Amino acid sequence: MATTNLGFIVQRPPYKSENPKLALTHAIASQSVEVYLEDGDIVTCDIAFVGDGVLNCLKDQKAADIYGLTSTETQVKMALLLDINVLICKEDLDRFGLSEDDIVIDAEEFGADIETKVVPYAEIAAMMEESKHLLFF
Amino acid sequence: MKLAVFVSDYRLTVDTLDRLTADKLGIILVGNGVYHASIKDKGKASSLLDKSAEFYALSEDLDSRGLGSKDIADNVKVVNYAGVVDLIFNDYEKLAWL
Amino acid sequence: MGKLTIGCFASLVGSMNLDFTVKLAGAALEKGHKVDLWLSGNATMLSIDKQRAFKDYSSLEKPLKELMAKGLKVTACEACAEARGYHKDNTLEGVDRKSMDWYLASTFDADRVLHIGGE
Repeated sequence: MATTNLGFIVQRPPYKSENPKLALTHAIASQSVEVYLEDGDIVTCDIAFVGDGVLNCLKDQKAADIYGLTSTETQVKMALLLDINVLICKEDLDRFGLSEDDIVIDAEEFGADIETKVVPYAEIAAMMEESKHLLFF
Repeated sequence: MKLAVFVSDYRLTVDTLDRLTADKLGIILVGNGVYHASIKDKGKASSLLDKSAEFYALSEDLDSRGLGSKDIADNVKVVNYAGVVDLIFNDYEKLAWL
Repeated sequence: MGKLTIGCFASLVGSMNLDFTVKLAGAALEKGHKVDLWLSGNATMLSIDKQRAFKDYSSLEKPLKELMAKGLKVTACEACAEARGYHKDNTLEGVDRKSMDWYLASTFDADRVLHIGGE
């Protein structure tokens, strides 16, 4: 039995590029990875939003109405539902004049038990240190 | 953490890179990232090269961009693909592509 | 010898990242390493067969086939491919199509993971 932990780092804003969406869909796919592994072996993901990437976490995204697309807001909530650790860089929120009121914190309407964590960059660096592999999106 | 960062752009990635910390940091210049190894902006070498890191530049990407015979910064080692593979497996534990 | 998992998300045409990916995979195989290649997002374009080669566009079918013959395992994201109209019946022979969890599973026992995001 073993665990491989992956650190996903999202540094781009949503929609122009497919990267943030693919980061979230791949992180969410960690929930079904066991089908390829031996019993007890798992792959876990932490996902951190840094730099312009914090803009993926803004609330009230209307991408579903306008483009017919799942918004990154909804995907962040899906990640919470699946107990994926979601970190959002506090310094970058501050840089944009954003507060916790502006971003996804919980996903109660989905039945999620955990919340996003607004943390100093140092905690994201620590997550990268602890992850076996890093995936920058 | 021993981290090798692949820099594949000339200008776009310095912010992210500036924040990365590692006990051992390697910066592998590939694609348009190889311009950092040679091109001077108003006579000044790329500030990327001021970082405390080991620097490498991919020979094929230097050659394909007309930089093969140009001066390469003294602190940049030119490597081929086989050299990159050795760096990946022998010198660093984690990889980041920016 | 180790295992390298490469995930590439960049387009075959319009980016040189897949060219880098295939060359790096070849160099790693040459040194006796095992290499898994995951193609996702626009990189699934590499998995289509019968692409016409022009001098102005990257064309990697030939080297990819040669590397697969030497043991390179290539898997394309099925959803990403289907979303782009790339179907099973025009997928390059030898390229597998799986869901995204395959990539994560490949990282499980990988010694190194190089994730090359999209442009």
